[in-house]
Amino acid sequence: MRRTWLLLVGVLGAALGLGIVTVAQGTPTIRIAHPWAGGEWDVFQPVVEAAENALGIEIEAQLIRPADLRTVLPIQWAAGVAPADLFFGPTVPLILRGARGGHLMDLTDLASPEDFFPGMCDPVMVEGRLYALPYTQKPKVPGFWYRYSFFEEHGLAEPANWPEFLALLDQIKAIGTVEAPIVTPVEHGEGWVLGDLVENILIAFGGPQLHRELAAGTIRWTDPLVKAILEYRLVPLIQRGYFTEPTEIFPAVEKWWTGEGPLISILTALLGVIEDPEDAGLFVIPGATGYVVAPDYVFVSSYTRYPEEARALARWFATEGQELHIQRGGGVFATKPVPRELYPPVERRVADLLAGMACLPDIEQVCGGDFKVASYRSWPLLWVDPQSLSEILETLEEKQPQP
Amino acid sequence: MLSNSSGILRILFFLPALLLVVVFVFYPAIHTVCTSFFTPDGKFAPLSSYAAALGRREVKAALIHNFVWIAIHLPVTLLGGLVLAVLLMHVKGRNFIRPMIVLGMVTPTAVGGLIVRFIFDRRLGIVPAFLTLFGVSPKSWISYPETALFALILGSVWLWTGFSFILHLAGLQTIPRDYYDAAKVDGATPWRSFFAITLPLLRPVTLVVAVLTIIWELKTFALVYTATMGGPGVATNVLALQMFTDAFQRFDFNSGSVVATLLLILVMVFAIPLIWRSAR
Repeated sequence: MRRTWLLLVGVLGAALGLGIVTVAQGTPTIRIAHPWAGGEWDVFQPVVEAAENALGIEIEAQLIRPADLRTVLPIQWAAGVAPADLFFGPTVPLILRGARGGHLMDLTDLASPEDFFPGMCDPVMVEGRLYALPYTQKPKVPGFWYRYSFFEEHGLAEPANWPEFLALLDQIKAIGTVEAPIVTPVEHGEGWVLGDLVENILIAFGGPQLHRELAAGTIRWTDPLVKAILEYRLVPLIQRGYFTEPTEIFPAVEKWWTGEGPLISILTALLGVIEDPEDAGLFVIPGATGYVVAPDYVFVSSYTRYPEEARALARWFATEGQELHIQRGGGVFATKPVPRELYPPVERRVADLLAGMACLPDIEQVCGGDFKVASYRSWPLLWVDPQSLSEILETLEEKQPQP
Repeated sequence: MLSNSSGILRILFFLPALLLVVVFVFYPAIHTVCTSFFTPDGKFAPLSSYAAALGRREVKAALIHNFVWIAIHLPVTLLGGLVLAVLLMHVKGRNFIRPMIVLGMVTPTAVGGLIVRFIFDRRLGIVPAFLTLFGVSPKSWISYPETALFALILGSVWLWTGFSFILHLAGLQTIPRDYYDAAKVDGATPWRSFFAITLPLLRPVTLVVAVLTIIWELKTFALVYTATMGGPGVATNVLALQMFTDAFQRFDFNSGSVVATLLLILVMVFAIPLIWRSAR
């Protein structure tokens, strides 16, 4: 019995000693929560390792998807805790909620909005203070991806104007193996990809200012200009059978790759999931002068144990970190001006195509909440029932935040 | 003295479970109901909170869809389970066929939602493929508002019929063989035996299945979440999904609590009569 007690005391003492030693070593371990898995993590992991070397810290990375972050963070904030010190995510309303509630650190002194592309920082500023830094982005291209090999095989060419675009669609439709010229991707029935296309069409025919005013709520969704653009540019494409039925996103990419739906309008993350990115070509909607983005922002929890280290890490990611990240490809682009040589050849081609265009925050990410839910559910309805356009625009206006 | 100490011992054993139920069931339920009486800015306004929630298109649609779900799903699973149980009571190879029927029951509902998406897919789905034999042109059922809800309900029937089957089968096995033998001697046909003996003696089981099925139908969430997220539009929105959307996507916990309380009331409307009936 005595021996057992002695053994127990010995084990407890060793454990206590080990704990003291561990604490005494004092290397800060910064916990980061990121949304990247699989191939995307393979691209991000070296950036994390580089951060550890550059700043002399340890980083513990955990995967938390944006949808889970939206659920987890408000609850944890209410308890005065957070699952990580630093977060990556595109959800602007969550960032603003955290900023207004005092759950995020003010990062105004770490960077200036002028360091990034115009408009990148605007959505995450509260009363002139910056609460998140733009990290990387995957632009929602204002056009359509195609395969060079497919176009070559069928003697097709990129269109220079809208009539040529319509002629191209007819040419593709006439190919026997094609289900419809343009694939219609949805994710779990949600139409965020379709929403991006709608926004890009509005930008192409209404200009970037229309998009800015829609996002701000000063132009409403039932505005005659908004309705006219969709009614006369998008709805006819749907009615003429140029789009496939709404298809889950990965089977949709598969359909695009095999040529059953040779055109797809989707964000540049496509380049990270296809076998041969060199074969992916892109043409913009004729007349487009802007495109939609939903940057991943990096923000710091107020509840971090290492505020100085976490802020330094956030700054590093927003500056050197994103430059490292974009060099690894996967359709990832910078949110600040960078030398085009940093991009791999495929991404460089896309960057050249988008150069000079206005970069506009995704309305669904900016507005969030009821509007985002309604928008995600409504666009797949338009694709199966084009007559429902008026009803959809009324629903969106109802949920649209007031200016 | 002996009965006092054994009474105290009983309470002591009962206490931990009661504590867990109070902390994790009663308290959250009461707190949710109380939250539903307040607006987001903290004002006590139960009538306007409920009126505002019930006035929303998505909530009205969800309520209707849940009732449609019950109207179709309940009779089909109840009858389907009963018929399968009767048919597979004595048939050869039943030990091979029965597990296939309960396969849906052991499939996680979220996985069931993914499976439903593919079952009704225009190119990959067996349902559109089967219907082409009758000249019906294929389409992806869950993409269209007029067929999406029906597709989910059919998928739910596949997932839940195993439950009805298992319980009815167990009930059938408790009916004494003598009753059927006596009926046979008296000249009763199999149909007569079914309606005069089987159905009445299975009534308690059928009641249990009916109420549990209604509760399943009212709280259905994972299937809809993974298959359609309530779309296209609000064509497949249901109360449990609306509750989640309000609380965790719109961050409106008061609205979410209103929907949760409505759900609680609906479940109680169906469950309480059963409990009374069983107690009698």
